Amino acid sequence: MGRLVLRRLSATVPVLLLVTAGVFLLLHLTPGDPIDVMMAESVDATVKETLRRELGLDRPIYVQYAAWMGRLLRGDLGRSIRNGEPVIENVSRRLRPSLELAFFAMAISLLVAFPVGIVSAIRRNTAIDRAGATFALFGICMPNFLLALLLIFFFGVTLRWLPISGYTDPFEEPWNGVRSLALPAITLGLALAAVITRTLRSSLLEALGEDYVRTARAKGLSEWRVIWGHVLKNALIPVVTVLGLQLGTLIGGAVITEYVFALPGVGRLVVDAVFARDYPLVQGVVLLIAVGFIVSNLLVDVLYGWIDPRIRAR
Amino acid sequence: MATTNPLAALDVSRRNFLRLCAAASGASLVSLDARAALAAEPRRGGTLRVGFYIEAATMDPHLSGSKIDRQVYHNIYEPLVTLDVKLGIKPGLAESWQQPDSKTVVFKLRRGVKFHDGTDFNAEAARFNFNRMKTEPKSVRKGEVASIDSVDVVDAYTIKINLKRPDAALLATLTDRAGMMVSPKIAQERGSELERNAKGAGTGPFEFVEWVKDSHLVIKRNESYWNKQGGPYLDRVRYRPIPDDTVKLQSLQTGEIDVMDYVQPRDVAGVKADRNVVVVDVPSLADFAYQLNHTRPPFATKALRQAVAYSLDLEQIVRGVWLNVGVPANGPIPPTSWAYDRSIPPLKRDLAKVKAKLAEGGQPNGFTFTMTTNNIPINVQEAEVIQAQLREAGITMKIKLVDSATLLSDGNNKNFEMISYQWSGRPDPDGNTYQFYKTTPGTSLNWSGISNPQIDSILDKSREASSQAERKRLFSELTKILQDELPMVFIVHPIEPKAFSPKVQGYEPIPDGMMRFKDVWLA
Repeated sequence: MGRLVLRRLSATVPVLLLVTAGVFLLLHLTPGDPIDVMMAESVDATVKETLRRELGLDRPIYVQYAAWMGRLLRGDLGRSIRNGEPVIENVSRRLRPSLELAFFAMAISLLVAFPVGIVSAIRRNTAIDRAGATFALFGICMPNFLLALLLIFFFGVTLRWLPISGYTDPFEEPWNGVRSLALPAITLGLALAAVITRTLRSSLLEALGEDYVRTARAKGLSEWRVIWGHVLKNALIPVVTVLGLQLGTLIGGAVITEYVFALPGVGRLVVDAVFARDYPLVQGVVLLIAVGFIVSNLLVDVLYGWIDPRIRAR
Repeated sequence: MATTNPLAALDVSRRNFLRLCAAASGASLVSLDARAALAAEPRRGGTLRVGFYIEAATMDPHLSGSKIDRQVYHNIYEPLVTLDVKLGIKPGLAESWQQPDSKTVVFKLRRGVKFHDGTDFNAEAARFNFNRMKTEPKSVRKGEVASIDSVDVVDAYTIKINLKRPDAALLATLTDRAGMMVSPKIAQERGSELERNAKGAGTGPFEFVEWVKDSHLVIKRNESYWNKQGGPYLDRVRYRPIPDDTVKLQSLQTGEIDVMDYVQPRDVAGVKADRNVVVVDVPSLADFAYQLNHTRPPFATKALRQAVAYSLDLEQIVRGVWLNVGVPANGPIPPTSWAYDRSIPPLKRDLAKVKAKLAEGGQPNGFTFTMTTNNIPINVQEAEVIQAQLREAGITMKIKLVDSATLLSDGNNKNFEMISYQWSGRPDPDGNTYQFYKTTPGTSLNWSGISNPQIDSILDKSREASSQAERKRLFSELTKILQDELPMVFIVHPIEPKAFSPKVQGYEPIPDGMMRFKDVWLA
């Protein structure tokens, strides 16, 4: 297991290099200039030039990238152009709501997807299965922002059960914090649940057709024991793969959901930073998102080994 | 909403708008709910929760380049002079002022004013602030105080400002960030940390408490505020960014916030019908237009600029796109200004004239050009309506949608043919004209590249003229020339509706759109 983790980690270096270089290039090729945005109402061209020189924005792109890389290797992500705040502080503050949201969304999706998926597989081609399929279709087709607005309208405006915007830290005020994350977590969780339900159902069906299932049934095991003890574990691999990819996306920020619910997460940060052409900040967030993906994929690989010892042995 | 409120007018035609401006300026204090205001005395206490579309950028008024910052500043900092509802200048931290000659202004400062950190506000502090604005490398105020040569301390409570050249717009400029006084002690000790923490830095009716980035910014009542008349009544004000307009509005309707900064035109009619929300139409200083690039074809040719201008039906644009939450513009000066000349009508659509102008410009069969505009819904709608109107006149317009960073760099680099320009406006007409139409080499807000000696001379004269009547005459003359030369085609002076919970009382709608909460209280 240790070697697997090590091998995976060494593979991340070229990935990170490629991602950062690609984003750096794209960002600088996009028209627009951070100083123009910052001083949109100023007519003073000399002030702008001074600032540009001070921030090193007048140098060639490859020099700027090398300088950024150099600082990164010393553990310095630089400072935001817009407000002078260290990028690391900015990003870590924003990471917390995103992680909490990812956690709640995951929890909701698993709580929904497992029962629905399992029942759909066992009761294949019954009304229950079709209801499950309808739910999944709804979850996959429903655009995020529309579901968010519907939830706001129903639970926030009509019933007034939940707050419709803003963020309270659940570690400071547990009850209000959970309430503030409830609607965005449901928004993300339902779509995710839909995907997982379908994946779980189909991989369960596949596993149910295997010989060992017939053997287990022949031994006289109850259907429940067959599913829980034998089939589920074998059907989990595709589900874990999907979960891992989704976790990466969630850490990178659910831009639209964060935007609609006024949640101060990573997604909104990176979008605002792109609009402001705040190069160091965008670079910092992208690096974080890339690391997020790598870590969640690593987690998936480790989980594979735990679920299926044959993978561990390889 | 009581019907006595002059701002309740639902249908805002151009004439109504003018009447509305006049009414607003006549009322000394517009109560949101006249009945409640009559029935009750202002009450102390409570927290006002304010929703803004975006978060503040910095707490240092000398480094600020964003409109939303000013919303907070006008409660914690105070300028030397302030605006009344008619955009007249009234005393602020300066009790009175004199102009012994056109290049000198003497301010008598208010005594007994303390910064929130306990230090005195006096002439030395004022001089420190002006020097900081002029010399601090990152100062965004440099352009605004460029006409100031030096500031002398005459005595402990008198300063003399020596100007390089006459500047009739200076007082109006000092009503905002350029006139705001920061505690010298805090500015020196805290340095760039002041951008994030303004504790103790101002003299205003409220003190900075905390700013949790991306979450909220809180200010509290200044218990030892120098002005003992009226408020501050509120215990606290809590600002919160809510980027989505629909969600912000719903937050107000469900009582999660008490005030929102701006209601989109598309929501105005619906919100006015909601009894749980009070809408105040705040006339703005803004000037929304399109700059035409004079430095390259097709708009290097005056007749083609005119062909475009005479193709447009502004009434239709204001009605269809802005849903009458604004008025057609006759030029850069908004109807809220003393310099607005209502005898000059906005340009009228005239297709026969367009035909003649096209022929005169050497394009009798019409021509094709590209308009650059922001990719936001109302801009896109406006662009599409303009496109359709031009098509009827035989002119083909392509639309290039960009984000605001690209728009700014395209404008600054004159990389456009016609480009959207939405200026939030300044209290003095100089702020809506000089920097846009004065001949300036290199980067400036004169994106069109217009260079016209007659315009230059009027602009310079308007800075030197001492009487307001004389300046008004000059600005009328300027407006007429602009309608002919067309560095910009002017579209609309928007209204900036703000929405409140009915329990919010005592808000005074000053046309600069800033929400000053000194006399606001919660019923």
